[in-house]
Amino acid sequence: MGYEQILVAVEAPIAIVTLNRPKVLNALSPELIGEVNQALRELDMDERVRAVVLTGGAKVFAAGADIGDMAERTAVEQLSRDQTGRWAGIAAFTKPLIGAVNGYALGGGCELALMCDMIIAGDSARFGQPEINLGIIPGAGGTQRWPRTAGKYAAMEAVLTGTAITAARAKELGIANKVVPAEMTIEVAKRIARQLAEKAPLALRMAKEAVLNAFDSPLAEGLVAERKSFYFLFSTEDQKEGMRAFLEKRKAVFKGR
Amino acid sequence: MATGVEEHVIVHVHDGVGLIRLNRPERMNAIGALTRKQLGEAIKQAERDDAVRVVVLTGTGRAFCSGADVTEMVTEGGGGMRTPEDVGNVLRNEYMPMLTRLRTMPKPVIAAMNGPAAGIGASYALACDIRIATPEAYLLEAFVNIGLAPDGGVSWLLPRMAGTGVAYEMFFTGQPLSAIDAHRLGLINRVVPADQLEAEVRELANHLVTQPRQAMAAAKRAVNHALESSYEEALEFESYLQEAQAWSPEFAEGVQKFLARRSQK
Repeated sequence: MGYEQILVAVEAPIAIVTLNRPKVLNALSPELIGEVNQALRELDMDERVRAVVLTGGAKVFAAGADIGDMAERTAVEQLSRDQTGRWAGIAAFTKPLIGAVNGYALGGGCELALMCDMIIAGDSARFGQPEINLGIIPGAGGTQRWPRTAGKYAAMEAVLTGTAITAARAKELGIANKVVPAEMTIEVAKRIARQLAEKAPLALRMAKEAVLNAFDSPLAEGLVAERKSFYFLFSTEDQKEGMRAFLEKRKAVFKGR
Repeated sequence: MATGVEEHVIVHVHDGVGLIRLNRPERMNAIGALTRKQLGEAIKQAERDDAVRVVVLTGTGRAFCSGADVTEMVTEGGGGMRTPEDVGNVLRNEYMPMLTRLRTMPKPVIAAMNGPAAGIGASYALACDIRIATPEAYLLEAFVNIGLAPDGGVSWLLPRMAGTGVAYEMFFTGQPLSAIDAHRLGLINRVVPADQLEAEVRELANHLVTQPRQAMAAAKRAVNHALESSYEEALEFESYLQEAQAWSPEFAEGVQKFLARRSQK
């Protein structure tokens, strides 16, 4: 389908989703989020694609939501538009999602970045939740994903003060996996995506699910789920291929079966 | 700058060189509230102005910069630095962005040390990328002499540039480090007689104007990244920076020129 506020490029075995509202610093309109959601649903089904890069381009990731659009809305209006509910599909994406962040990732932009599985930050990247300065709080997972990633105190600082942090600080807090020169951010993210695309798709999916499960369930339950997935993978062709290739000292070719 | 307003800072852009000159010779270029405002604006403008490829920071008269205007710290109505909290706020809100900008702007910044650099003045000199000084110049961490602690980033810069021994001696004694000694310790790049300073700085600045600007900006980015990362992280960051640089026309031109020179020999 055609998109108006994002670009989707399939470069099998990876795909790149680019937020594309440069004039408004990729402000996250409900439509834009809806399109990202839709694109990821489609890419999840697309067998050619094994990993996805999510980026805002060379200059900015996304500088928050459309304040002009929200300023005079009522609670009931906000609820009925379900602005934040549109994000559910992004979190449900089952393949590796690599965020390539240059410039501002603020408010909803930061929350979108935090929904990625790995984050490559350009040295120009800034992460922050400035909602508090507008008399509101993050509404798309910021108060939940920050503490789960960076811990309570860094999360409180971000969410209560509204002050943005640098790429280097994000790396220190474990939010960014890597800091690279901004002109290389998307390229590095694509390389990591391609590297992941060579791995067994089912194993990637189970691994992602298991790690995300760690945030939602008690350890004992997480361990049970992990073990079940571990055993399950022995029923796949890719497990046989992977182990045989290892023993035969050749490169495995995985098929997702 | 508007007429009627004192010019504590004079800016002159010529042939790619942006000259920023502290201009309070009667106060040895001490930095007061108005100076901070004008200097901050000049540094910001130098970073933004695409016509400026190299920045030179210097002072009018005998001094480079004698530091913060202490009279403003104690007198009413001076510069709004009357409480201890004001002292901290001025450092955080005014000096910090300025000094950070000097160290991170994507172009070379040269300190032409026409004379002494004391207190925050030394912080400015040390925040520049390269220093050229007259023999009469010196660096002075004057803070202890009025019962203050080092500021303006020298607690970070000096130990990295000259080691903790030199830094502590300067912080504890409040004694000047002459340009000659500073040169020996690697804190000052070159020492030249006062009547040759301008020509020496101009020659270096003009040379840097002709150097590949993106490559120089990349060098500065690499150094600033490396100063806050491990050896392995620095190697990796360099590798990506080099890859980006290898795409640039500067590299293509540079290689062509190199090969042309070689074939001439």
